[in-house]
Amino acid sequence: MHLGTPWGLEVILYLFLAGMGAGTITASASMLLRGGGGDGQYFSIARYGALVGPFPVVIGTVLLIFELGRPFRALNLYKVINLSPMSLGSWFLAFFIIISIIYALLFLPWPQWKGKRLSAWRRRLAWVCVPSGLSVAIYTGVLLGAMPSRPFWNSPIIAMLFMISAISTGMALIIFTRALFYKVHLDVPTEERSWHGSGYVLAATDVLLIGFELLVLFLLLMFAHLTVGSVKYAVEIILPGGELAVFFWVGVVLLGLVIPGIIEMFFVAPKLLYGGHYTAPRSIDIVVPLAVMVGGYLLRYVIVMAGQLTGPVGL
Amino acid sequence: MKEQDKTPDDRRGFVMALGGAIATAFAAIGSIILPGSAAASLLDDEDENDSEKVGVKVQYGMVIDVRRCIGCHACTVACKSEFDVPPGVNRSWVEYTEKGQYPNVGRSFLPRLCNHCSEPLCVDVCPTNATYRREQDGIIAVDHGVCIACKYCMHACPYDARFLDPVNEWVDKCDFCIHRVSKGLAPSCVNTCVGGARIFGNLADPDSAVSMLIASNRVSVLRSEMGTFPNVYYIDADFTDEVDRRRPEVREVRVITHRRHKERT
Repeated sequence: MHLGTPWGLEVILYLFLAGMGAGTITASASMLLRGGGGDGQYFSIARYGALVGPFPVVIGTVLLIFELGRPFRALNLYKVINLSPMSLGSWFLAFFIIISIIYALLFLPWPQWKGKRLSAWRRRLAWVCVPSGLSVAIYTGVLLGAMPSRPFWNSPIIAMLFMISAISTGMALIIFTRALFYKVHLDVPTEERSWHGSGYVLAATDVLLIGFELLVLFLLLMFAHLTVGSVKYAVEIILPGGELAVFFWVGVVLLGLVIPGIIEMFFVAPKLLYGGHYTAPRSIDIVVPLAVMVGGYLLRYVIVMAGQLTGPVGL
Repeated sequence: MKEQDKTPDDRRGFVMALGGAIATAFAAIGSIILPGSAAASLLDDEDENDSEKVGVKVQYGMVIDVRRCIGCHACTVACKSEFDVPPGVNRSWVEYTEKGQYPNVGRSFLPRLCNHCSEPLCVDVCPTNATYRREQDGIIAVDHGVCIACKYCMHACPYDARFLDPVNEWVDKCDFCIHRVSKGLAPSCVNTCVGGARIFGNLADPDSAVSMLIASNRVSVLRSEMGTFPNVYYIDADFTDEVDRRRPEVREVRVITHRRHKERT
């Protein structure tokens, strides 16, 4: 589907899925390293992230390859390397797909391997996963931002926004998978403590990322509004009255950021502020991440379409 | 005195030779490390310096004298038939700009094509080096066999000169009729232009028709603020755009692009 613009839904979906997958793996690897690599509440988070992370990346990449019309032409990307963000990005992506799949496989039960050796390899892979996941999460924004002919995209903050959104949607995917598959006996005190402990870590991180994302969006809008010329006219498309204003303000800001942020803050605040107890029902852990993921997709949609529908002013 | 005059030149010659040797060494290392554009650009710089000394550099360019354009689309048609360009897309086209309110109105024509920039953004972003700047004549060309149709260059081009060929599914654009100019003929649009509005030639040669026109007229290029250094110059072009509706003296502006996308991007 082309929507009359050079880049259509496949590309938008790819930007969302690859970002989310890279964010999931980055979050998983960071959690594993934070917990020292052994068992514990961080390990269970890392395990969910590692097992689910490669799927969106691979699905998104397949979509992107078929968007080219003749899929095998994608191999031409790997015959050269140059300083084009797309060339660098495709090498990062290929490396990341391989690394993330190996990382995921290490979390499957391998009875013939001793536990210590396995966790040592997981830790080693995690050290590679963090930078390569971040590079995949950030290159898509660099790719869009590289062109002065697209004033809406031509800003360094788009890359930052995409990276924060990638990690935020990645965290949401971990919370979502964990809520769906985690078998927990809440009547056993140790299990209950571990479940809510890891839930708190995830929710608190997500709130922080949502806050940062709102801040970056504010900076993007504020600076575009304060300038004159192409960027000012381009950003009008998402300001009230613009063509994409509803998608942006209702979909991205309200549904994807403000509402999930407020709900998570409501559950996180007691422990964060005065050391209370963190408890969140499973339904919240399913609905809130879904909203964050829908918001993340709509963010890619709004940014990609706004950039394509606007151009430099004058001739 | 003579010897004193001579020494600095000799030193400069030595320094330049040293510099050349270092550049060659870097280019050689670069070509090993980076087989892509970075190494190529290092080599290119060296080539340019050499050719400037000998004076054989060719930079093809065009001057479009809008005063002579009658908006007849003969160039569009000639280009279409020269390359069998599929319906709905154009390598070269003519835009009309209508402005003002009756009785103070104006209409102007703007023939368009690829600007064959000296700092081409499309070449910078191409991930497969499918689009490149030809060293021998400065033409920006597309290698259809290498192009993967990622459409990145279509975004990078500030002039909307590139399109996705709907039949072959590769990105295409004006190439100054390489097959004609390499045989000493003028590009097809230049050949057919009834008013002689399109003038083609070598911008590096100060005695060429294009260079003399640029030197003796008030010329402009499209979107010079993009820093792409286009090699297509316009004489007396009207750059009124739809954004100029906001100006009280213009009020009404209608741009007819004669293209599939009705609006300029």
